[in-house]
Amino acid sequence: MANKIAILLGAAAVITSAGWASAKTVCYVTAADAHPYVTPANEAIDARAKELGIEVIRLSQNFDVQTGTEQMNTCIARAVDGIILWPLDPQAYIPGLARAKEAGIPSILINSPMDAAANEFIVSFTGPDVYQEGEMAADSLNAAMGGKGSVVIIAGQAGNGTTIGRVDGFVDQLAKIGSEIVVLDTVNADFDQQKALVVSRDLITRFGDQIQGVYANDDTMARGFIDAWKEARPGQPMPIVIGINGQVDAFESIRVGEMYSTIVQSPIEDGILAINTIADIIDGKEVAARLPIPLTVVTRENVDSVKPAF
Amino acid sequence: MLWSLERIVRYRVLVILAVTLIVAAFVVPGFLRLSTLALGLDRGASIGLIAIGMTVLLIARQIDLSVGSIFGLCGIIAVMLQSSLGVWPAAAVGVLAGAVLGAINGLLTVVLRINSLVATLATMLAFRAIAHWLTESQPVPGADIMLSIALSKVYLEMFTLRAMLFVGLILCLHAWLTWTVAGRNLFAVGSNPEAATASGISPDRTVLLSFIFAGALAGLAGVLQSLTTNTGSPMFGSEILVVIIAAVVVGGTRIEGGKGSALGTLGGVLTITALTTAMEFQSIPAYVQQVVMGSILILLVVLDRTIRPGAHAQAAPAT
Repeated sequence: MANKIAILLGAAAVITSAGWASAKTVCYVTAADAHPYVTPANEAIDARAKELGIEVIRLSQNFDVQTGTEQMNTCIARAVDGIILWPLDPQAYIPGLARAKEAGIPSILINSPMDAAANEFIVSFTGPDVYQEGEMAADSLNAAMGGKGSVVIIAGQAGNGTTIGRVDGFVDQLAKIGSEIVVLDTVNADFDQQKALVVSRDLITRFGDQIQGVYANDDTMARGFIDAWKEARPGQPMPIVIGINGQVDAFESIRVGEMYSTIVQSPIEDGILAINTIADIIDGKEVAARLPIPLTVVTRENVDSVKPAF
Repeated sequence: MLWSLERIVRYRVLVILAVTLIVAAFVVPGFLRLSTLALGLDRGASIGLIAIGMTVLLIARQIDLSVGSIFGLCGIIAVMLQSSLGVWPAAAVGVLAGAVLGAINGLLTVVLRINSLVATLATMLAFRAIAHWLTESQPVPGADIMLSIALSKVYLEMFTLRAMLFVGLILCLHAWLTWTVAGRNLFAVGSNPEAATASGISPDRTVLLSFIFAGALAGLAGVLQSLTTNTGSPMFGSEILVVIIAAVVVGGTRIEGGKGSALGTLGGVLTITALTTAMEFQSIPAYVQQVVMGSILILLVVLDRTIRPGAHAQAAPAT
C-alpha cells in the first residue's frame, strides 16, 4: 500500500507541478468563465500576464457572489502578490478585501465599482466610467436631436451600479448643457433584449409619436426597442436610438440607420488595464485610485474605422 | 491484513482527506500553512453548519433540499430587520425563522405525508421566491461593515467565529448521536421506522424535530454569512445544496437512512473544502472542479454498494 501511495503521489506531482516557477503570482477573481463581455477580458488578462511574466490564478465566481467571497479566502491563503477582483456586489467582498490588506496583499477592482466603504482596502479601481458614459450619451443624443424633443430611457437593472451611473450621468449632463430634451419616462429592462421588447411595446402604446429619441443603457436593449417599433409602426421613420457597449450588431444597426450611436467600451482594454495596474503596484509604482478605460462614441461617420467591442 | 479493501472503504473519509492533503502539499507551495487551514476552515464553516443538520435528516431517512433557500432567506431577514431591531436581535430572529421554515418542511412531511424529497423541492422554490420578492432581487446592504470585518477575524491563528461554531456543534452532535438515547433512537427511526414505533419511539416526532433542527442550522449559517458579508442576497446559497449533500455522503452517511456519523461529516466537509481550495490554487476551471466532485461522489457510492464492510469477510471466511 505504501508503494501505491508513493506512485500515486509521484504521478500527481509530475502532472500538476509542470510549469511551476517562482514568478510573481496574481489572483484574479473573475465574474464568469463564459460571457460575451467577461471572456475577452479574461483572455486579455492571460495574454498580457504572459508578456509580463506574471502567473495568474483565475477563479471564476460564475456570477455567484458567495462563491466569490469564499474565493477571496483562497487568494489570501495562497499568499499571492496581488488580487484583481471583479465585484458583483457593492458590499459583500469588503471583509475579504480587509483581510487581504491585513495580509499585505494589494487588491484592485476591475470593471465594476463597489461602495465607498471599500475604498480604504483597495489600491485602485480600473474600468469604464459608467457615469461618463451617461454624459457622453447625453451629448450624442442632444446633438442628434438639435437640443430639443422628448425621449424615453430604457435602463438596466434597478439598483445596479452600471445602471445608476449611466442614467444619472445622462440626466445630469442634459441639465448641465441646458438641453431642452424632456424625458417622458425611465423604465428598467435588466439589460435583457426580451424585456426591452416588452417594455418598449408599452412605451410605444402610451407615448406613440411623442417618442422622438430613445436612450438605452446598453445595445442589447436598444435592439429590443427597434424590434418593438418595427412591429408596431412598420414603415414609419425610427426615432433616434442610442445605446452603449459597442456590440457588433449595434455597429450593423448604425450602418443601416436604425441606430444613431453607441459607445465602445472594450473588454480587452478593461482586462489589459487591470493586469498592467496590478503589475505596477507589485513593482512598487504609484498608481491612481481611479483608472478609466478609453471610451469612443461611434456614429455613422466613424463606424467603419472603429473596432466593435464584442 | 491491516489495509484490507473493506477497511479502506470504512475509513474512506480519512483516506481521501489524507490523499488530498498530501497531494496538495506536494503540488501547491505553502498549502499546509496554518493560515491556509484557518481560511479553509472558515470557508467550510457555512457548508459545515448546514451539513450538521443534513446529517441528522439523512440518518432519519429524510432529506431537505430547501436548506440553500433557507440559508439565503434567513440572511436577508437578519439584515432587513437590523435597522428596526438592532443587529443581534435581528440575527436571533433570522435563526428562529430558519427553525420555522424547517418546521414547515417537517409538517409537510409528517402531517401531509408528502415525501420529503418532493415537499422540500417545493419549499426550496417557494423560499427562494420569497427571498427574491422581499428584496426585489437586489442585494440588501447591512448596517455595519465594521462588524463584518470584526466577525471575519481569525482567533488562535485557526478559527473564525463561524469555524468555531461549526467545530463545536459537530462535536456536540457526535456526543449526542453516540451517547444519548435520543441519538440512538434517530438511527432506529432511520433504519426501520416500524420497528422503532413498536419499541415506543415516535418516528413522526423525531422527523419533525430533525427538520426544525436542520432549518435552524441552515438559518444560523445564513445569518452568519450575511453578517460577515454585510449583505443579504437572494442569490446566497443557490449553489450550495449539492456541495452539502456531497460532503455528508463522502463522510459516510447513507442517503438510504439509518447510517451516518458526525465525525464522518466533519471529514467530508474538510475533504470537499481541501479539494476545492487545492483545485482553485491550481486555477482549475470551475466546470472541471464540478466534474471532479461528481466523479468522486459516484465512485464512493459505487464502492459502498460493491464492498460493504463485513460482506467481504462472509464471502471469504477462510482468510
